[in-house]
Amino acid sequence: MGDNNNVNLPPGFRFYPTDEELVVHFLQRKANLLPCHPDVIPDLELYPYDPWELHGRALAEGKQWYYYSRRTQNRVTGNGYWMPMGMEEPVVTSSSNKRVGMKKYYVFHVGEAPDAGNTTNWIMQEYRLLDSASSSRSSRRRSQPKPDHSKWVICRVYERDNDGDDDDGDGTELSCLDEVFLSLDDLDEISLPN
Amino acid sequence: MPENMSISVNGQSQVPPGFRFHPTEEELLQYYLRKKVSYEKIDLDVIRDVDLNKLEPWDIQEKCKIGTTPQNDWYFFSHKDKKYPTGTRTNRATAAGFWKATGRDKVIYSNGKRIGMRKTLVFYKGRAPHGQKSDWIMHEYRLDDNTTSDTNIVSNVMGDGGQEEGWVVCRIFKKKNHLKTLDSPLASGEGRRSHLFDSCDEGALEQMLQQMQRGCKEESSYEGNYNNNSSSNHNYGRFTNERFMKLPSLESPKSTSMESQHNNNNNNGGDKNDGYHPIIASEMGTDNEGSFATHHHQAMVHALEVGSGGGGLTNWAALDRLVASQLNGQTEASRQLACFNDPTIGYCTSDHDLQFPTLRSSSTAPTSSTSTHARPNAAPAPYSHTQDFTSEIDLWNFTRSTLASSEPLCHVSNTSV
Repeated sequence: MGDNNNVNLPPGFRFYPTDEELVVHFLQRKANLLPCHPDVIPDLELYPYDPWELHGRALAEGKQWYYYSRRTQNRVTGNGYWMPMGMEEPVVTSSSNKRVGMKKYYVFHVGEAPDAGNTTNWIMQEYRLLDSASSSRSSRRRSQPKPDHSKWVICRVYERDNDGDDDDGDGTELSCLDEVFLSLDDLDEISLPN
Repeated sequence: MPENMSISVNGQSQVPPGFRFHPTEEELLQYYLRKKVSYEKIDLDVIRDVDLNKLEPWDIQEKCKIGTTPQNDWYFFSHKDKKYPTGTRTNRATAAGFWKATGRDKVIYSNGKRIGMRKTLVFYKGRAPHGQKSDWIMHEYRLDDNTTSDTNIVSNVMGDGGQEEGWVVCRIFKKKNHLKTLDSPLASGEGRRSHLFDSCDEGALEQMLQQMQRGCKEESSYEGNYNNNSSSNHNYGRFTNERFMKLPSLESPKSTSMESQHNNNNNNGGDKNDGYHPIIASEMGTDNEGSFATHHHQAMVHALEVGSGGGGLTNWAALDRLVASQLNGQTEASRQLACFNDPTIGYCTSDHDLQFPTLRSSSTAPTSSTSTHARPNAAPAPYSHTQDFTSEIDLWNFTRSTLASSEPLCHVSNTSV
């Protein structure tokens, strides 16, 4: 876990970026060759790492791994491949609801690409910037050729829990039992006068 | 390795982008609270001291901001004081409300060793017996007594005795409305429905169903949730009255006449309660008083079966309606009669129409029913006709599909006559 911290933060601080932060603070800057600050996400280019090989190579936070990569048609690894799932979702800014990037889901299959192979619980979220054509940001350096944003992506990889209990373990939400207790409180409130 | 980030939390925070204060329970107890109770310096003042009696949850939210990044939860230290010098209870009242403990405390472990406890509290607005439950939840973490023997926590009594004084570390957050969605789909904002079929909710639903089988208290249990939805309260009175309005038509042996009556009422929103009229009718027609319980039970079971087909959303509504309709017919008829003369209600019926339920209020009335209907504001939220139900259309459709269950329900009752 957490060998990410070249950043000196006290206990309890973790890399939990929002989608917007990933795109705006990390992906856009990287694509524009601006320094990322802090520079915590490593670039794994298109190395064919299996998801379980990411530890120690990608930025690890809890059960999630982050790394830069490039857009590619076929995300094939040593022992399998990432198969796209569903549609791309837009990533928008929280302030102005402006679209800044896209997010796509993959699931890891063990085996060769044509076979449906064995689905695993490994999920990847791939963040990319909008295609250059649609990106209308006024470029800072008119004189230089615009950098090709579109090739950079950030991948977030995690292993989905079998019980579907995604991130309830750290007590950040109410458990089902808590919820029942809460509704029982109403029972108390109401029945007592009777 | 980049430079050491200098972070000043209480000034303008320089927490780098993407990083959030998201401590584990173990970190909260072992690092932060342990340092706090032993007066050690904490490197970074991310967790501030808060006087829980002076700040409302929304004030804490403001005071305990970390930087400028959006937060879902807020952390603070609080020093617990006794409510009364002689007692052991903690005073958690604020100007606007109070924190009330719920459930049982949870043991927090670190490497298999017990290090502390977590108490869950809910913020109620108002004053103690009549507070209105809010969505604000607090987790209050305390260290185990034996591990803090060198601190100002004096008591070593096992159990609850030693927990009522000293420093605790707290986290507040706003509850996501999982169950509330079940109860009041119309009150839910966007995004809540997506939680509806989370794995969590299946378990919750399961538990709630078990609760329901325990007997007569269940109405209170889920009606209590309805109380949260104050926007729908005013609908209940009208709804109940409508239901009674239509009772006379039930005397008619022909269901066709009932239907026409329903259609006439559609513009009043009365189409939502078609489903259980036949039950009332069959109950009314039942001379065998002793079979009431059986009917009741069967009808409920049937409603559950019908409801579960579509995701269980209207189980509660259907059950509530069933129970309410049964009980209404028993004891509360005379009470409800008063409502009919209320000029604010747009429609009135003749006395003759209303006699039928009154006659029924003979000996079988379970006394517990009084408590149910003494609270007209215990609104079945799904019936509230608010404007923002656009995303909930399918719920309504499903409600209608349960309405189709009127026939089978009728049969259930009839067969046991």
